[in-house]
Amino acid sequence: MTDFDPTLDLRLERMIAARPETLWRCWTDPELIKQWFCPVPWRVWHAEVDARPGGIFLTAMEGPDGERHDGEPGCVLAAEPGRLFSFTDSLSPGYRPRGSGFMTGIISFTADGDGTRYLAQVLHGTAEDRQKHLEMGFEEGWGIAADQLAALAATL
Amino acid sequence: MDTQLDSFFAALSDPTRRAVIERLTQGPAPVSELHAPHDMALPSFLKHLRRLETAGLIRSEKTGRVRSVRLAPEPLRQAEDWLNRQRKLWEGRTDRLQALAEALERKPS
Repeated sequence: MTDFDPTLDLRLERMIAARPETLWRCWTDPELIKQWFCPVPWRVWHAEVDARPGGIFLTAMEGPDGERHDGEPGCVLAAEPGRLFSFTDSLSPGYRPRGSGFMTGIISFTADGDGTRYLAQVLHGTAEDRQKHLEMGFEEGWGIAADQLAALAATL
Repeated sequence: MDTQLDSFFAALSDPTRRAVIERLTQGPAPVSELHAPHDMALPSFLKHLRRLETAGLIRSEKTGRVRSVRLAPEPLRQAEDWLNRQRKLWEGRTDRLQALAEALERKPS
């Protein structure tokens, strides 16, 4: 169960023309997650996903000038292949509390016809947590990159 | 801005204070009306209001014997900006995930 707070959290629901197993792979295969997790010009230069409860979830980022934001490895909370994947950056792998981190992702996949009803819920912590996230500094850059990409896409 | 955002979220970390904000999104209200649905003594309730006022979330003014409270829009907008940026990030992420997953199925490996 989830305590959803609209002032803090996000909920994205979408129909995707791919099977739940394929989406599961995209989330849990490090080589695949590298291809979509990060907006250009940033990229995931290193990813580790051990898709079982307590396993590692790590996406280390590299910026356009080679600047790296590796972050701390997060912890997988739930892993039901083709159904549910959940992780948080507030725990280290093996569930060890870290005293930092700001988000928990709950991703669910439901087969629907030939496709998948995809639901991503992103729960955010409060003040201090987001402060740390802001201090990571690349978030602004991401927003700008997404805008540039949208502008570019519109011209294609 | 970030300090203000901090106190904003600290102020919103309480269900009573969130209920007050929710009520005020429908328009200004006198303190007595805001207090009515809450099962707590007035002094405790006033502490919550002070917390919201200190965080810059609400403003209050006294007209005659009635203190009226309204939302201060600025911090709400800042918080929304933060959440909007997160939303944009996750929407982009989901776009790319969708494109990749659908491409993988068109070209089975």
